[in-house]
Amino acid sequence: MLRKRISWLLGIIVLAGCSTSDQRILEELGFTHTTSYDLISQEEGASEDEKLKITISIPKADPDAEDKREVLTATGRTSKEARIQLSKMTNRTLVSGQLRNILYGSELARAGIWEHIDTLIRDPSIGQRVKITLVDGSAHDLLAKEYPDHPITGVYIAQMLDKEAKYQTVPDTNLYHFVRDYFDDGIDPVAPVMKDHGDHVDISGIGLFQDDRYVTKIATQQTMIFALLRGGFKQGEISIQLDDGSEGREFVFFSSLSSKRKVKVLNPKPPFSVEIHVTARASVLEYIGDLKPSEVPDQEKLERKISDYLQQEAQKMVEMMQKHQVDSLGIGKDIRNHMSFKEWSELDWREAYAQMEIRCNVQAEIKDYGKFQ
Amino acid sequence: MIKKLLLRKEQQHELQQGDSAPSPPTLAHVLQEFEQCSDLKHRFFPDIHIDVLYFDHMVSGEDVGREILQPLRSLSVQEVSAYMRRSPFKRIDEAKRLIKGILDGQTALFWKDQAYLADTNGPQFRSVQQSETETVITGPHDSFIENIQTNLSLIRSRIKSSHLKVIPCEVGEITKTTVYILFIQDIANRELVHKLVRRIESVEMDGLTDTNMLIQYIDEHPNSVFPQFLTTERPDAAVSRLLSGRIVGIVDGSPSAFSAPTNFFEFFSSPDDYYQRWMLGTALRFLRFLAFIITVTFTAFYVSVTTYHYEMIPAALLTNLAESRYRVPFPPIYEALLMEITIELLREAGARLPTKIGQTIGIVGGIVIGQAAVQAGLTSNVLIIAVASSAIASFVIPSYVMSASIRLIRFGLIVLAGMWGNMGLMFGVAYIVIHLSGLSNLGVSYLSPLAPMNVSDWKDVFIRAPYWLMRKRSTSVKSPNPTRNRMKQ
Repeated sequence: MLRKRISWLLGIIVLAGCSTSDQRILEELGFTHTTSYDLISQEEGASEDEKLKITISIPKADPDAEDKREVLTATGRTSKEARIQLSKMTNRTLVSGQLRNILYGSELARAGIWEHIDTLIRDPSIGQRVKITLVDGSAHDLLAKEYPDHPITGVYIAQMLDKEAKYQTVPDTNLYHFVRDYFDDGIDPVAPVMKDHGDHVDISGIGLFQDDRYVTKIATQQTMIFALLRGGFKQGEISIQLDDGSEGREFVFFSSLSSKRKVKVLNPKPPFSVEIHVTARASVLEYIGDLKPSEVPDQEKLERKISDYLQQEAQKMVEMMQKHQVDSLGIGKDIRNHMSFKEWSELDWREAYAQMEIRCNVQAEIKDYGKFQ
Repeated sequence: MIKKLLLRKEQQHELQQGDSAPSPPTLAHVLQEFEQCSDLKHRFFPDIHIDVLYFDHMVSGEDVGREILQPLRSLSVQEVSAYMRRSPFKRIDEAKRLIKGILDGQTALFWKDQAYLADTNGPQFRSVQQSETETVITGPHDSFIENIQTNLSLIRSRIKSSHLKVIPCEVGEITKTTVYILFIQDIANRELVHKLVRRIESVEMDGLTDTNMLIQYIDEHPNSVFPQFLTTERPDAAVSRLLSGRIVGIVDGSPSAFSAPTNFFEFFSSPDDYYQRWMLGTALRFLRFLAFIITVTFTAFYVSVTTYHYEMIPAALLTNLAESRYRVPFPPIYEALLMEITIELLREAGARLPTKIGQTIGIVGGIVIGQAAVQAGLTSNVLIIAVASSAIASFVIPSYVMSASIRLIRFGLIVLAGMWGNMGLMFGVAYIVIHLSGLSNLGVSYLSPLAPMNVSDWKDVFIRAPYWLMRKRSTSVKSPNPTRNRMKQ
């Protein structure tokens, strides 16, 4: 008994150094932090069947290195094929278990990104919380660019998205969200869009998808309206210009914004009609204009003004989405819940969505008007 | 198998008891027995035909001089019989007992073919001092010493009750060491007491020098790495064990008492828990269990994460970790084993050296070697932190024997983690849990009250509940009086 145990123990100690096949020793790895996918334009001299340009950015472990990261680019017909090329270019084992962000060039995204998302879901080492991000123009150029204030571009972009998502400016779109919205009936995925701005990177809006194809974009100024329409949240800020440019200036800055959204289906039969109720409560932290936010009647006036403005903007946005036949707000889910599965399957939802009536109803409430008495 | 062995030993023991007929105690016989013992003092009083035998370093010289030798010098032949009647001497009919008495530091007297013994015991021991290994901040500071009588008096003086019973046993063919089994009648379970006594009686060894040696002879799982009897140097801890219905044993010549039945969690409690307010006591318990987890798994976890599971590392830590490992030439497992062995060397060196030099070793080893190893690129500084934390955490565990066992387990887990990553680590932890579940002490499960589960006992295991909540004694001691403060007289 004891002898058996001791021989086991000895065996274990002797064998301890043997298993090197599946070892992933930290400093021998190249952790891909950010990957970018682009379509190759024909001018770049690629052969006919190579269509993808893939760039990866790997933070370096060497503390004495000049560059803090390694950027590698390869072309191939599929992403895994390109990865084989990439791994030939570096002395470290490329692993994707630390992948944080995936950038898609807008051209590729317009053609549809499902086949590239597919590999991400299949690979068990890739987490569900990888961000899906679109880039205006070439994703490779954005990722490969050096920003003097931010040594590692990939990390810079990822942190920026995190921060912006916290304040609802952009949706926090990760692999899980994207795939969920892609497969779910009656909702389309969305993803933030980034843009290079010379010495910094900028958020240039929210990309709306039709299935897996990037169709149109909501501009940066409108992103808060989109956030209000897409669902409730607890923390946000919005700056509103209330005057129409003819009379005096009137601005309001709405902070600590929390909102609730309700979708009421008014007519569950074709032609459908729904009403989106949004209640937004916030503090007024900046007001430039003739009203006095500290006076109750003026407050009510201001609330009405803000509500009207938000409602108009929301209505415009919804109409724009209907025009492009993208159901980014998930109206379809509510319609779907009012009919049998058979009816839903027989329905051409995109067509119905474009024709239906969607009314927005926004109620703004002023919680307080800041410290100013 | 163990039971059979014990049974056989008991039978042999009974045989030995039976086969020796008592021999009469004659002076010649005793002198022959003590041949070449030049330290045996033999005083002969020719006028009154009395011989006195004693070891002068085992008796208190004053007693012998004043009580025995002085009166004997001035005795005439007629007065002897009268003196023998009122003297402290008792008649002994058996040579064996006489010899043992002399060896115990008594004085023997031979007169008219009869032998007598007088108790003149008084060997010198160190005085009662503070415990070196089990220090507390509040509470009594005395600790047991090497003399069993003194130790017994330390316990008796705390439990002034006739219910505290003492059963003497003798262990060791040559050393004839006295072992006392203490228990409180009506609280301790008689069956357990008998079990323990039988077990101690059936121990066959030629010499016993310490309690920790004895408990290795009488535990049920000699091949386990875990200690199965709690040992303590503190009289107050021994007394609280007695009051909870456990059995306490003390061994002559050893400054530690053992108690049974013990469970695994008892090794994580310190008398301090009971002298502090209950919330603090509870917090300290949690801290110790946390320390146990840290000391067992922290280094192994580092090894498994840096060898296999890079995905688990948070992004912010990843670069730092990779940078600190960048210059290290070995795989993490060898790096970790190297540092762990270094720490163990330092600890052992510090333990073997006198205190003053030991401190220097700590400083040289800890700071200089640690810093230099990182500078030289032999280890990563994150590993140094892991190894140091688990070393410190291991010293949080109050029982030294338990913390030593746990430190040993760590190595196995590091090797497993280096071979199979987190899976290996989990296998190792599972194996430890399975092993612990299989252990027992005096027939009581080692993991009680966790397995078998008894939630009401948790009040004195995982937390230290307020005293008014602890109305019941632990069920694992199988006490005939399970409620505290209610003695069925």
